[in-house]
Formats: sequence, structure tokens, C-alpha cells
Amino acid sequence: MVAPTDGALDRAATRTPRRRLAVWLRRVTRTGAVRTLGPFVPIVVLWWLAAELEVFPAAFFVGPDAVLTEFLDLMRKGVLPGYLSDSLTRLAYGIGFGLLIGLPMGFLVAMSAWARRLTWPLLLFFQAIADIAWLPIVIVWFGFSLTAVTFVIVYTIVFPLVLAVVSGVEQVPQELVRAARSLGAGRFRVFVEVIVPGALPAVAGGIRTGLGYGWRALIAAEIIVGTSGVGFMMFDARRVGDVSEVFLGMIVLGVLWYAMDALVLAPFERATVERWGMVRQVEAGR
Amino acid sequence: MSVTLGRTAGPGPRGRTAPAGRGPRGRLASAFWFLLPFALLLVVWAVVVAATGTPMRIFPQVTDVGSAIADMWASGDLLRHLGASLRRVGVGALLAVATALPFGIALGASPKLAAFFTPLLRFSVSLAGIAWIPIATLWLGYSDQAVIFIVWNAMFFALTYNALLGVQQIPIELIRAARSMGTGRLRMFWEVLLPGALPSVVTGLRIGLGYGWRGLVAAEIIASSAGLGYALFLAQKSFDTDVVIASMAIIGVLWLLMDRLVLSPLERRTVERWGMKSVVS
Repeated sequence: MVAPTDGALDRAATRTPRRRLAVWLRRVTRTGAVRTLGPFVPIVVLWWLAAELEVFPAAFFVGPDAVLTEFLDLMRKGVLPGYLSDSLTRLAYGIGFGLLIGLPMGFLVAMSAWARRLTWPLLLFFQAIADIAWLPIVIVWFGFSLTAVTFVIVYTIVFPLVLAVVSGVEQVPQELVRAARSLGAGRFRVFVEVIVPGALPAVAGGIRTGLGYGWRALIAAEIIVGTSGVGFMMFDARRVGDVSEVFLGMIVLGVLWYAMDALVLAPFERATVERWGMVRQVEAGR
Repeated sequence: MSVTLGRTAGPGPRGRTAPAGRGPRGRLASAFWFLLPFALLLVVWAVVVAATGTPMRIFPQVTDVGSAIADMWASGDLLRHLGASLRRVGVGALLAVATALPFGIALGASPKLAAFFTPLLRFSVSLAGIAWIPIATLWLGYSDQAVIFIVWNAMFFALTYNALLGVQQIPIELIRAARSMGTGRLRMFWEVLLPGALPSVVTGLRIGLGYGWRGLVAAEIIASSAGLGYALFLAQKSFDTDVVIASMAIIGVLWLLMDRLVLSPLERRTVERWGMKSVVS
């Protein structure tokens, strides 16, 4: 007798309607979207219950319905889209300049022994000065302007990126470099075809870390500089005691970052790590 | 996520450039190479400011910053601000470790709970810290508690998430072996789950402290009347750039000390002990 396969079992299970529902449910809960978004449902219900039962005073804690109304209201007035695009523009400027400065600097420090000797302790030190501590002096220099906010974000992104590039270059196996050299590749070709791709996984990780810090710096800068943006919106709402707007701001920030991380940064990192990291592992296994 | 983060935050230069710190001479040499760039930076700074005649309102001279630090020390402000900041970080970090570790390990021990909480935690990590400042000041007022809350909050989610990941990385045979030998729940926690998760926990601690430290500075700027962030903010209002730069330098030195004296030894001990050296270096 042949043992029934999984497919046969599934088919047998679908015979009764209740079983069919169970199979369908299992299939649905296995999809990524449900697994990612599902846990938020009970949390929102709990949140709603806590607000309805007034576990906390209403002046400090509002339910999802109030936040939703606030969201629709601010969308209609055009306040939220305006602030959001302000924040995202700043972030985009910061990321752009951060990458433009950080990547070349990282490879320079990684490739030149002298550059490394002279800058490594400084890099550690400047990374240690929390980016937000730069805000006061930056405001003195540039006033309450886009430049001030961009400066802080660039600063935040550059240092983790440089450190990541250096550690990435160090992880490139020396044998690969030697092999390429002995096959007659020039220094430039080795750099472009061996070292840069080999360092990519770490660079991707560094970009992700840097952006995580940059994102926080943006919020802090908007709160402190306080002209526009989602951070400013939250703090302004706090000043007048509008809790639902503060909650809304937090949710918008969380959703935005989560989406960016899950849809852009994580796939990018996975792609580089899988392409370059796993290949090396396979080679090592041979 | 955690592994790459730890790797990018961790290592210094090895091999080719950094002289090995073996023996008194080696250590002296490495100290020299560590301090030389700072000395060069100070010289460049002094020369540039003197040559361009930059007014103190824009950028102070090296000596101004030095005397600002001396003044802060003499008036006792330095110790007061330092004490306030360090106390807040300390209390916040202790609270975070005490709450996040049991929570994260309990979550990690159950695959279902872990699957349920992972997206929630990732969402919360991305939101933690500074984004909570408005609501924290609303709930707790412009007070010490609000700042401590921010530090705790910034660290809690990163620590929980990494503790969860750490438990999941423990080889299943170890857990099964312990269980089949009749290990109780409490012993399981202390002798298998907690030590097994430690390398990842330390990574989480580093990430969390990084967020917490930034959150501290931001929260102090916004919501307190003591601490280094507040000193910065106060000096900026009166355009005392020498005090601003001095405070920034102190913040940097403090973090470096924290990194060297607390985080790196912890990392070395846990990670090397559990044979995961290759992950970090």
C-alpha cells in the first residue's frame, strides 16, 4: 500500500466544509502579509478597548477612532501631506548627500593605510558625539533652515556608513584579491570588481543602520528646529494638548519607516548578502 | 538585522594598520597613534580659526573651549550635568535590561509567541526613542521621569527584539538535551536560554544604548533643567559656542568611555565565550 501524500491528505481534508475552512484558514495565515499585519489587529482592538473603557484619562490617551478622524481631517486640510513631504524631502537630501560623502570616504579610509591611521580615532570620536548634540551649533551656523536639518542627517548617516564600509572591505577574503591580482587585474579593476562587490553586504547593513539613526535625527531636529515636518507637527500638537495628533504623528512615522525598511532596505540588504555572502559560503563548503 | 548591525558598529582596524597592543611599548605606540590624529585636529583647528579670524560667536578657538571646560569644572556645573545625564542613562538602561530580558527570552522560547510579536517589535524598534518625546512629556511632564522614560523606551524594544532573536539562534539540540535531562523551567531560563541568547543580547544592548544615548540628548534639550543636553541648549541660546563645543566633546568622550569600558568587554566576554567570534569580527 502506498502512503498518502500531503496533497492526497489535503484533498481528503477538503471533503467536509469545516475541514475545508480549516485548510483555507491555514493557507491564508501562511501568507506573508497576514503573518506581518495580523498581530497588529489584536493590538489595535486592545488599544480601542483601553480607550473605550477609559483605562487612562482621555486627555492623555485616545482610541484608534479618534486618531483615524484626525488623520482624515488633516488629510483633507492638506496639513499632513504638506508636513510629510517636508520631512521626506529633508530625509532624501540627507540620504543623498550622506551617501555621496560617506561611500567615497569609507572606501578611501578602507583602502589607504595612512588615511586610516590618521582618521580612524577621529571617526570613532565623531561618531560618538551623538548627532543630535550638533543641532545647537548647527542652528548657530545655519539658522532654523533646511541646511541645518540636512547637516545633522548627513552627519548621522556618514559615520556608521564609513565604519561599515571599512569593515566590509576587511571582510573581503585576501585570497580573492590575490587571485585577481595574479590573473593580471590592475589595482583599479581589483577595486571595482572584487573589493566593492565583496564589501557590499556590509555596506548595505551600514546604510540601514545609518538611515535608522538618520530617521531619528530628523524627528529630533524637526522638534527642536520646529518649522515644519511630522516631528514638528507632533510637538506642536503636544503644546496645545492635542493627543490624537501626537498619536497620529507617531503612527505615521512608524508606518513610514517600517514600510521603507521592509520594502526597500531589507530586500536590498538581502539581495547583496545573498548574492555575495552566500556565494562565499558555498565556496567554503566545497 | 541584529548581526549586521553589531558587525558594523563593532570592529576597529585590524592587522595592517593598528599596532598590536602587546607589552608596554606596543601599548604606548597604539596610544600614540590613537592620540596623534586628535593632536593634528586641534592644531588645524587653532590655525584655521586664528588665520581666518572667525569670531567666537561662530566658532570658538581651542583655548576658549579649554577654558570653558575649566570654568564648568570650577563652578561645579560640569559635575552636576554629568551626574544628571549619567544617572538618567543608568536608571533607564537598568530598567530596560530588567524588563526587556525576561520578556524577550520568554517570547523567544515559544515559537508561536515569537512569530506573533516579531512584526510588532520591528515596528516598535523603528519608532522607539525620540518619536516618543512629545507623548512622554505629555504624560510625565517636563521632568526627570520623561527623560528616563525615553531612555528606557529607546532601549527596551531593541533589547527585547535581540533577546528574542538570540533565543531563536540557540541550537535546538541544546534545548532538547537540557529538557530531556529533566531541566525545570527556571533552570532552563538561567542555564540555557539566557546564556545562549547573550551574544545577541549584547548586540541589542549596543544598538539600544546608541538609541538611548541620542534619545537622552534630545530629551534633555527639550525637556529638562539639568544634564549635558540642557547645558548645550542653554549655551546655544546665549551664543556661548565655546560651551556648546565643550559639551559636545564631553558627550563624545563619555560615549567612547562607555563603549570601551562597558560594551566592548561585555561583547568580548559573551561573544568569545560562546564561540561566535566570526559573527562579530
